[in-house]
Amino acid sequence: MTPSMTTSRRALQAIPGKWGKSTKLTLSMTTSRRAIKGLGNVVLVLMLLWTAIPFYWMIATSLKHDKEIYGYEATLIPQQPTWDNYATVFRETPYLLYLRNSVVVAVGSTVLSMIIACLGAYAIARLNFPGRAFLARGLVFTYLVPTSLLFIPMFAMMSALRLTDSLHGLTIAYLGFDVPFCTWLLMGYFKSVPVELEEAALVDGCNRVTALVRVVLPLALPALVVVTFFSFTHAWNEFLYAHVFTSTNSARTLTTGLANFMSQDVFFWGPLMASTIMSALPPVLMFLVLQRWVVQGLTLGGVKG
Amino acid sequence: MATSAPVSIPIPSGPALSWQDRIQRFLLRDSTLGYLFLLPALLVILGLVAYPFVNAIVMTFQAKTAGAPGRFIGLGNYRELLASEQFLRTVFNTFVYTIVGVGVKFCLGLSMALVLNQERFCNNLFRSFLLIPWAIPTVMSALNWRWIFDDASGLINNVLVRLNLIDETISWLSNPHLAMLSVLMVVVWQGTPFFTMSFLAGLQAIPKELYEAAEIDGASVLQQFFYVTLPRLRPIFITAVMLSAILTSASIQFVYILTNGGPSDRTMIFPVLSYNLALGGAQRLGMGATVSLFFFPVLVVFIIFLTRRMLREKEE
Repeated sequence: MTPSMTTSRRALQAIPGKWGKSTKLTLSMTTSRRAIKGLGNVVLVLMLLWTAIPFYWMIATSLKHDKEIYGYEATLIPQQPTWDNYATVFRETPYLLYLRNSVVVAVGSTVLSMIIACLGAYAIARLNFPGRAFLARGLVFTYLVPTSLLFIPMFAMMSALRLTDSLHGLTIAYLGFDVPFCTWLLMGYFKSVPVELEEAALVDGCNRVTALVRVVLPLALPALVVVTFFSFTHAWNEFLYAHVFTSTNSARTLTTGLANFMSQDVFFWGPLMASTIMSALPPVLMFLVLQRWVVQGLTLGGVKG
Repeated sequence: MATSAPVSIPIPSGPALSWQDRIQRFLLRDSTLGYLFLLPALLVILGLVAYPFVNAIVMTFQAKTAGAPGRFIGLGNYRELLASEQFLRTVFNTFVYTIVGVGVKFCLGLSMALVLNQERFCNNLFRSFLLIPWAIPTVMSALNWRWIFDDASGLINNVLVRLNLIDETISWLSNPHLAMLSVLMVVVWQGTPFFTMSFLAGLQAIPKELYEAAEIDGASVLQQFFYVTLPRLRPIFITAVMLSAILTSASIQFVYILTNGGPSDRTMIFPVLSYNLALGGAQRLGMGATVSLFFFPVLVVFIIFLTRRMLREKEE
């Protein structure tokens, strides 16, 4: 297992009088450890297959001609790979419009929620005022209330404010999830920035605002990256609000747009899989790059299930 | 919070303060600044969570359609729902869906985490790959799986026919006995990595010395698992399960895209029913809100429990 493990075993064997017993122990340990390792490899292979097969099917379908996708000539491996489906997506569907809408909403809600969350998190982590414990509790609580409890009154409210079917409306609506969540995550990180650094800055003539901008934020940079990732992907992946609050292509984001594709045409799986892959790529690439920090953030705050 | 005792700002105090100084002093006081900084977040919470939530409760006592003002009907919505077979089925389905979904995700996630915690060639690569389903937008996964389950040309039927295991293709999503199973497969595929990630982080935080000590005491590998690993992971188990239970039961996209609650309500869970009543056809917003609110008491127990836990963890 590890070097330290061998050391401890050697130490054990060095004890006189226990020699025979410990050898037996080591032997049985090695056998069972080897068996477990073998079992682990088998499980790993099964898990890899289980994870990979849907990906494979998605990619393979996107590269096939229609006659390889449907009917008795359907294939498992694309015989004549083609980019036609991708071309169809761009030529014959509003995919680019959906993509633009997704980018606008995701960037907009991320920027807004980051600003609001940085201020809020700093206040809760560092400033002393009555009611801050209560507010911290309220933040976590609101972040855990699922949107499926809120979308009906939200829909009524957005209609009354004439914010349905608009990118502004959607951007604002996403703040309801992003702000509590980002504030909550940042709170933890801000607390880990040593108070002394900030005190030094205050003595040197900073006030709270400049201390936040010049001292705390640069030190919490990795946290800001993680929080940006979470709020961007949340807006990018969100379905319920996007589906409920939009009714025309002008404001549809990728999630609801692609779900709408499905009901339109029966023989649409080639282009649909092509657009699905392209839509999944940005969050997946971001995740792969930021993986280590994302996992850290996840265990810190616990994100989506 | 004890670890980060708030610093007091050194403000020069003297008898001669101009009014500008006074204003600045007031604005830079901890309490003023605290509320000022929190104001935007507070507005968001009040406007986008608290107000809609109260509004939802009001709606449950109303007969309300979109665009028209609601009419007070007392407990009419509640009575109608409790008498409806569709709602009772939805309650049953939601529990089955959540318990089985979370249970299977938990078991697979734990075994995946244990396997990835072993040392092997290219382990980091395998780990990254196994976590990808979590990063894919759930709608995209649902669409992909709908195509995998397709009656005529989907992957599963395609392979089964090729292997001569079936003569007629199977309607995975429209067969009353298979629909729930099929939807759960997708839920598990997408949701397992979340558990893997949480558990793996937990496993890596267990000090190696504990295992060495157990080994010296003669504990077998199984005993080490039950007496060292499991107790250490318990707090993570609880948090992950509760979080996943809230989000599994309350998310709409898998069922909505795969079956939309069909066939004959076999896969109907509460968010989908709520959506269909409120926005699909009849637009009965009051009824839709009532469906969601029925589940709130169950959810709120989890939410309060989790809130406490998460705040405590953060303070340590």
